[in-house]
Amino acid sequence: MSIEPITGRYLTVTVQGTQRRIYFEEAGQGRPVLCLHTAGADTRQWRHLMNDAEITAANRLIAFDMPWHGKSLPPEGFETEEYLLTTDAYIETVLAVIDGLGLDRPVLAGCSMGGRIALQLAARHGHKFSGFIAIEASDFQPAWYDIDWFHRPDAHGGEMGAALVSANISPFAPNAERWNTLWMFMQSGPGVFRGDLSFYTKDESLIPRLPTIDTGKTPVHIIVGAYDLTCTPEDAKRTANAIPGATLAVMDELGHFPMSEHPEGFRPFFIDALGRMSISTAEAA
Amino acid sequence: MIDTFTHIQTRLDGAPHLLRLGRLFSETVLIDVEGDEYYLTFEKGRITSIVEGPSRKTPWRFALRTDGEALAQFWKARPAPGFHDIFGLVKIGRGRIDGDILSLVKNLRFFKEVMGLARASEEVAA
Repeated sequence: MSIEPITGRYLTVTVQGTQRRIYFEEAGQGRPVLCLHTAGADTRQWRHLMNDAEITAANRLIAFDMPWHGKSLPPEGFETEEYLLTTDAYIETVLAVIDGLGLDRPVLAGCSMGGRIALQLAARHGHKFSGFIAIEASDFQPAWYDIDWFHRPDAHGGEMGAALVSANISPFAPNAERWNTLWMFMQSGPGVFRGDLSFYTKDESLIPRLPTIDTGKTPVHIIVGAYDLTCTPEDAKRTANAIPGATLAVMDELGHFPMSEHPEGFRPFFIDALGRMSISTAEAA
Repeated sequence: MIDTFTHIQTRLDGAPHLLRLGRLFSETVLIDVEGDEYYLTFEKGRITSIVEGPSRKTPWRFALRTDGEALAQFWKARPAPGFHDIFGLVKIGRGRIDGDILSLVKNLRFFKEVMGLARASEEVAA
């Protein structure tokens, strides 16, 4: 028997004028590191790092389920609403969680759409963070599939979504973690993956903002897996090149969900990334 | 190539979870390898016939068009990036999918795992 050190609680914040009951987990102590999951998934993607005693000895890892995802409820009235995530709503949600939890200039670590919004936050609210770890993150990705496939009355969107994103998982991933990763997509609520992909595949607003990111104040480190078909190493390199001072690491044996699909393979890259982040004044004092 | 598809057919018959996943899949799929046509007919998840083309008379639901070297890479235990998935082949310009793509997507896990049955190692999932 074993009990993990991760603890989970709920936080209610107001986003775009309505209350959101948000589930968050945390483990560790010290510098706050806020972790954002990918589209169609939830905080479970971060569980391996949150259970890593070496990492949590000096880092307080916090992950939350976006509204509509995992154990966070959709807003009241969702039954007649079409879920379409937007950049503004996403930014407001992340900032509301930071304020609600009283986090002082956390490191922001986000994967996929979480990496995209991390770069948006680096451009627009960089002073509220001490650094950005943008995983499988790029400036813009048009869809190479039809996002409407994943929300239709005659098929199971979660199972189709899982089958699609399996294309982004490395053959080096341990089989159990491959399927644990896919299970989250299978469990995703109806239309949620589609609504996330709408944000990820249609909003190009980050492109002109990339050169404005001030990495002298808040470092930006991008990490990308070679088996990622959605955000390829070329996409990540193009993005890093557009951010003055950004750094990049390519993981030869990992895919689009590195912290979840292959925790051991990702671990050294994440530790390296944490080492590149600055310690905020408040934390250093 | 026909031997590989026969091998897949045999292994599919011995894979109860795939027969369960494919129980509603009764379609003909065209695998086009550099112009060589192979028509795989599925009945309730089983491959009931493998017919070589060319044929202009055989209706098919969807087609995967690729080349022999790409398939050889795809069937390695740990393929190089892009060769590890049928959509990867499309992404790197070594494959094309035609026809009723929604039919493929509705049965995507089943079809990808069936194609992966020729992989060198059983330990690596499709």
